[in-house]
Amino acid sequence: MPAGARSVSVSRSNTLHSLQNTRRALPCPAQRQPLAPACLDRSGDRWGATLSMAQRPPALGPGGPAPPRRSSHPALPHGTAEGHPPPLTARRGSLAAPVASRRSSVVLGGGAKRLSNGPWVPGARVSFSGLPLFPPVPEACCQNTYRTQPAPGCRFHAGPAQRVLEATLAARLQGVAYTPGAGRQLAQSLAEQLRGQLKELAPPRYKLVCSVVLGQAGRQGLRVASRALWDPESDTFASATFTNASLFAVATVHGLYYE
Amino acid sequence: MDEFQSGEETAFVVDEVSNIIKEAIEGAIGGNAYQHSKVNQWTTSVVEQTLSQLTKLGKPFKYIVTCVIMQKNGAGLHTASSCFWDNSSDGNCTVRWENKTMYCIVTAFGLAI
Repeated sequence: MPAGARSVSVSRSNTLHSLQNTRRALPCPAQRQPLAPACLDRSGDRWGATLSMAQRPPALGPGGPAPPRRSSHPALPHGTAEGHPPPLTARRGSLAAPVASRRSSVVLGGGAKRLSNGPWVPGARVSFSGLPLFPPVPEACCQNTYRTQPAPGCRFHAGPAQRVLEATLAARLQGVAYTPGAGRQLAQSLAEQLRGQLKELAPPRYKLVCSVVLGQAGRQGLRVASRALWDPESDTFASATFTNASLFAVATVHGLYYE
Repeated sequence: MDEFQSGEETAFVVDEVSNIIKEAIEGAIGGNAYQHSKVNQWTTSVVEQTLSQLTKLGKPFKYIVTCVIMQKNGAGLHTASSCFWDNSSDGNCTVRWENKTMYCIVTAFGLAI
């Protein structure tokens, strides 16, 4: 048997193996992590957001730039923890290692070269012929309510919010002395407690941003300022201050209507 | 649909916002020592400059920018924030800056509309 024929059959089996690797490496939609119920009627939209990430044009190479960060605090790694698909670069990286050791005729570079024969949709299972086994989940947006303003009587009012802030600060900080370790915990837990209380107070479709500044009472000067770009008819804010002999605290909450 | 094609443009990009904040701080208080009479003007300037630059990005976001300037006195300071929003579209960025006489903490929140 000529050597050339043997090499062709070996490369074809490599192709099969590579395609199988492709199928295993891609996350099946059913296996993704459940979405965090931050906003229940937006779960479809978040799924839509992840679809749009996967359908980004394949401009990223194997060593391309990382996807944009959402927060400056590196708390959670991106990926399955937040219900997002792993970035395309990581996916390609996991394939490149085993393939690189094989023949160079089998190339699985970027997203531009695909070995399947038919159209391939990210996130969908493909058969060997390249046709999707089942149609991909369509983009599911929020149901359109045709409402751009909050319903009458359903606005976020600053007065009740301020009373809640003052009451909570007074209850939590009365007689508390400042210590560096406790101060950090106190600020975080205060912010979360305020958010929880104001969430019950806030009407639907309002997003809340609560911030707490807590510091030691020395003879220093301090200034807290904030400014927002919002719709003044539907959005507002409230703030409260508490001081005692050893510490001071400033709590602010902004309520923004989600159109 | 436009939503797919503009998916990258309508995300809250932390690095971009961080640069905007740093430039605003440097422009307003870079090289100055703490002065009680001027701190009012400085905080206003930092916040306004940051907000106007964020607006120029032209993204469909509502923004909240907060600024804390504190004199360096050996006292401790903690800031914390907690938000009820949509994790996939909203984000925040905090920049801590200091010189010999004061600390400056600026936080920008971006909430998609």
